Amino acid sequence: MTGWITGIGWVNGDGCGHGRAAQAAPCWTATVSVPTRRQVFAKADLRFGRLDDFSRVGLAAIACCLRDAGLEQWQHKRAIGIVAATRKGCLTTDLAYLDTLLASGGALASPNLFAYTLPNCFLGEAALRFGLVGNSLIINQSPRNDLEVLRYALQELSWSCGQQGVLAGFCDVPPPDEKERAGALFVMIEATADTGTAPYGRLDLQGDRLVFNGRAMPDVDALVAACFGTMS
Amino acid sequence: MKQVVISRAATVTALGDDLSTLWRRLLAGEGAIAPVTRFATECYTSNHGAAIASLQAAAGDSLMTPLLHRVAAQLSDLPADCRLLVATTKGEIDLLETRRRQKAALTEPDSEGFLARVAEAFALPPAGVTINAACASSTIAVGRGAAMIANGQASAVLVYAADLLSEFVFSGFSALQALAAAPCRPFDQRRIGLNLGEAGVALLLLSEDRAQSEGAPVLARVAGWGAANDAHHVTAPARDGCGLVLACRQALDRARISAGQVCGINAHGTGTVYNDAMELTAFATLFGDRLPPLHGIKGSIGHCLGAAGGVEIAVATQALAEQRLPPTVGCDQPEPAAGGQVGARVQTLAGDYLLCCNSGFGGINGTVILQRITI
Repeated sequence: MTGWITGIGWVNGDGCGHGRAAQAAPCWTATVSVPTRRQVFAKADLRFGRLDDFSRVGLAAIACCLRDAGLEQWQHKRAIGIVAATRKGCLTTDLAYLDTLLASGGALASPNLFAYTLPNCFLGEAALRFGLVGNSLIINQSPRNDLEVLRYALQELSWSCGQQGVLAGFCDVPPPDEKERAGALFVMIEATADTGTAPYGRLDLQGDRLVFNGRAMPDVDALVAACFGTMS
Repeated sequence: MKQVVISRAATVTALGDDLSTLWRRLLAGEGAIAPVTRFATECYTSNHGAAIASLQAAAGDSLMTPLLHRVAAQLSDLPADCRLLVATTKGEIDLLETRRRQKAALTEPDSEGFLARVAEAFALPPAGVTINAACASSTIAVGRGAAMIANGQASAVLVYAADLLSEFVFSGFSALQALAAAPCRPFDQRRIGLNLGEAGVALLLLSEDRAQSEGAPVLARVAGWGAANDAHHVTAPARDGCGLVLACRQALDRARISAGQVCGINAHGTGTVYNDAMELTAFATLFGDRLPPLHGIKGSIGHCLGAAGGVEIAVATQALAEQRLPPTVGCDQPEPAAGGQVGARVQTLAGDYLLCCNSGFGGINGTVILQRITI
């Protein structure tokens, strides 16, 4: 199974970034800088301000990734899927919604917050903004194996009927008192190399091994670093 | 590509603790939607839902635990090399509710821990993937499991799906004005909303070769599957059903059949105005004026969220085998757009392929096509 990485985008503690505009691969801490609309989209986007933090971070990372891949602009819907891994999902949104529920005995439960208590909602936000009609789903992220989402995405791409590409990555906005990695990162994996943007390189799934440009990758950070290495 | 079959199925729903009971009661047109007693509903727009009888959790535990064990008790002796896919929307959300009410430490009811508990209950290795694609979660998980087998990545996959009737979700749908105050009416002209339900379901998928060589039972072949996003809205379906049409076409292509070979449809049929209208529009696009008989079971067991598709696929195996569709309970004045192909009556099937579909928040749609086979 083979795909071509054509874009990398992320949101971390330093804000938003994408591969071809960055000097170095992103670093991860337990805090994330939740982006404003202006930091992500040049044009007005009324919905962005209503999104929960989890959705803003995930959507911004996808937007940055598509920008890096030259796929941000579109006229016709595209067969691009999204597979996102998460450890905590939209827990912070769940808690915020629960607080509106418990404070009022249910009478003033927030419909706007409830609408974002499914972790896949930001995938829908990305799909409608960028015309992405492929499969879109969340999988659980195991701290021991952060490459699983890339395996899943490559299989999805290989097994699907004529899919152009799959966005694959992770999104986590843990509660403030937790010390786990916070932020989101997505890579764009396209089915062919002859896209408008020169790919970072070739990603193969050989058994369970993920191989980028001939080198086995131990984790996502190594993969991103290897992508940056192709630009130097 | 290997052929994939559903070998065994286990369900626990508000209509009983096994598939044969569910099937019998669906055929009889029974409904389990009733006033909810699990939590206070005075502040909500409805007090109706379909809860599983006598579901009790130990102190500090989730109702997902007894639900899991009631499903697992029906499926012993699974293949040791069976891969596991879990599908749920909110998992052990009742634990989070309880802890927040008690102002207890906010440890997340984590999906990885739940995955491990599911594996243990079915005596499988503690590995697998949990899939969340809203109300299409288990349909997409079945498609994923079928793809794993068809492409030689596995020869046995267990799909386990479950979701609860929780105050968290109930209050949210109430806030969205999406609940029906009385038993819902899928595909009825007077439909006004949905009722929530809860369920646990397990489906054992095997390669057909393996099923034959091991003499395993076969309920149906998984002939095709598809998934697509509307790219339209996060909580509202695309009125033209574009994502559902795309998912169905993917499934038809995989099954290598034409729409005309589909003899019946198990629709999502939530009973909301927009979902059911969207589905009928999509079906009109796919089938033209040859819409096959269709039905939905949410008027009987409520909307079981991430488990809905799995339960409906289990029911569809029975429908194909017996060549009849259970009544769509609550559909007394069917939408004219359904062309007389849906109603609160048992319908006869005449063919080998049945299409099951689900749609959910985030604009996602999933489709599975089952094929009747005899080995």
